[in-house]
Amino acid sequence: MSDSANITLDNVSRFYGEVLGVNRVTLSIPPGITSLVGPNGSGKTTLMNLMTGLVRPTYGEIRVLGITPSEPEKLFRLVGYSTQFDSFPKGLTGFQFIQSFLRFFGYSSEKSMELAGKAIEQVGLTDAADRKIAAYSKGMRQRIKLAQAIAHDPKVLVLDEPLNGLDPLVRAETIALFRQWADEGRHVIVSSHVLHEVDLISDRVILLTGGYVVAEGQIHGVRTEIQEHPIQILIRCDRPGALAAKVFEQEHVVAAQILPDGSGLLVQTRDADRFYRQLNHLALADIRIEGVAPADDNVNSVYQYLVGGEEASK
Amino acid sequence: MNTSQWAQILAIVRLEIWKTFFSRRGLWIYLFALAPVLLFTANSVYAPREQARLARIAETHQVALTNLVAITRGMSNSVVLEQLGEPYQRRNWNHPVEGGRVNERGFYRYTDGRSDFTFHFNNGRVREIERSDPETVPQQLLIFATIFRFYFLRLAVFFGCVGIFTNLFRGEMLDKSLHFYLLTPVRREIRLAGKYLAGLLATIVIFTASATLQWMAMLWQFNHDEVAGYFSDPTAAHLLPYLGVTVLACATYGSVFLCAGLLFRNPIVPATIILLWESANLFLPAALQKMGLIYYLQSLCPLAAAPDNSMPVPLTLLISSTPSASVPMALVVLILFTLAVLVYSGVRSKRLEINYSTD
Repeated sequence: MSDSANITLDNVSRFYGEVLGVNRVTLSIPPGITSLVGPNGSGKTTLMNLMTGLVRPTYGEIRVLGITPSEPEKLFRLVGYSTQFDSFPKGLTGFQFIQSFLRFFGYSSEKSMELAGKAIEQVGLTDAADRKIAAYSKGMRQRIKLAQAIAHDPKVLVLDEPLNGLDPLVRAETIALFRQWADEGRHVIVSSHVLHEVDLISDRVILLTGGYVVAEGQIHGVRTEIQEHPIQILIRCDRPGALAAKVFEQEHVVAAQILPDGSGLLVQTRDADRFYRQLNHLALADIRIEGVAPADDNVNSVYQYLVGGEEASK
Repeated sequence: MNTSQWAQILAIVRLEIWKTFFSRRGLWIYLFALAPVLLFTANSVYAPREQARLARIAETHQVALTNLVAITRGMSNSVVLEQLGEPYQRRNWNHPVEGGRVNERGFYRYTDGRSDFTFHFNNGRVREIERSDPETVPQQLLIFATIFRFYFLRLAVFFGCVGIFTNLFRGEMLDKSLHFYLLTPVRREIRLAGKYLAGLLATIVIFTASATLQWMAMLWQFNHDEVAGYFSDPTAAHLLPYLGVTVLACATYGSVFLCAGLLFRNPIVPATIILLWESANLFLPAALQKMGLIYYLQSLCPLAAAPDNSMPVPLTLLISSTPSASVPMALVVLILFTLAVLVYSGVRSKRLEINYSTD
């Protein structure tokens, strides 16, 4: 895919005085849902602000579908950004907020009203559209920001912690919206602390810590990059003790632990593919294997491996 | 600039103007602007009543003006009573002085039906003469000119521009809502132009309305013939030049404070420095006076307050002896200065970043 179809960051660094925002970030983000994952201060928001021109890089170059963030008149016809800031222009209703900013896009009054109505409907806020934003709940404010980001039908959506404050039902609906937009060929860049949701919704993840990208790619690809960390595999079987003895014969297995309830075995291996192949032979013996599942092949565990358990739990 | 950019400017003005006019933070600007209107209104209510009072007194205690002006300092109270007759109001009292002695003090008040004279006595001799004449259109215009120069331009318009223009960017930084503007397909300099025009429109409406109301309130006490008689003179000072100066002051100070709001976390600091510089302008050497905006703005005012003996000393200090700049020169300097500041602000706005945590 050409770079004009991707979001590209070429050796981008941003410093706030002496403080590092992000450092030497080189990325090429294709369409689909890409999650930025990292603890507070890891550089997620800085990266999003850099993509949208709210801050400028100290070094490096950024292009969003071939456009630099220093060309807002072109960029924001393609990009919608829902920021983490929970503040709004004063005195406006939800509808007035969306509609008045749509006028900046050059839409007529009628067209901007139509688009504002559609966007508000998409995020399920139609009933509250004529209420002042100051009277909105946290979840409603989150949704009106989302509506503002999508109102002009952008190709790239940058969403900073978009699931914060949403109740479970709306959260599920919002995730479904992200999936729909990604399936339509848009870029959906999401940052989140809710790791299990990132795990579920993302096509790709970018793991950040201390301003550095420590890993990026598909979740499984990222996981296999971490050769020094063994993968945990959970095996449900009727004779975990016997299975433990057999798996220990394999050189790539570094640990095996029988589950406290005796229903299976937790194996740590440095070569999951080989382990899965060999497990088929082991299962031919007198051990009945009821199920096999990766125990930690998710964002949370990858993240813990990469940045340390303490930070990941923040 | 193309039509789409003009449409964007209009959209920005539309959104900003509402906030600017009805912001609670801006209520004090209306008070600053309306204070002289209240002053002129109060005077226009008081002056005719005072004239009616003197006319009523004159029905029973009228004294010819020629007799009144013939009284001089040092005359005894018996001579005054002999020449003018019984005053319509008199009062005497003893004023203690050093050494346990007392001075006899007092005053007599007379009127010819239009002017009010008060003769103050000390130990039976005229010590001071106060004379209050009916107000005239030229006299009121001079008062208007003085208030316009020393209060309206230097304080009301100045602080009004501080309040409105610094808030255009800084207010949104503080509210953490500026990013919404930066996330629209509007060039930064277009956004700046829109905000500036919104601020300019608001200040022009507020302050030209105030100047017009002041003018109307000032002339309200006079009958139509008096007003028409004065303004039939082609050299008479008219309202329009004052409105023009008000517009220029809003444009010039507006550009400065828009830029300050863009560049400084606390624009009150540069505003205070500029205020001090502009206030000190009168006391500076002529060459330095020309480096103040107020010098050029005052050069465009139709009437200059002239010091006279009746003026309190602090007020005479405010009257500059430096010759005014010519009208074309003042216009060129103010317009070029405003454009230069706006262009610089446009360049700086391109470097504007959202970093609320440090603001």
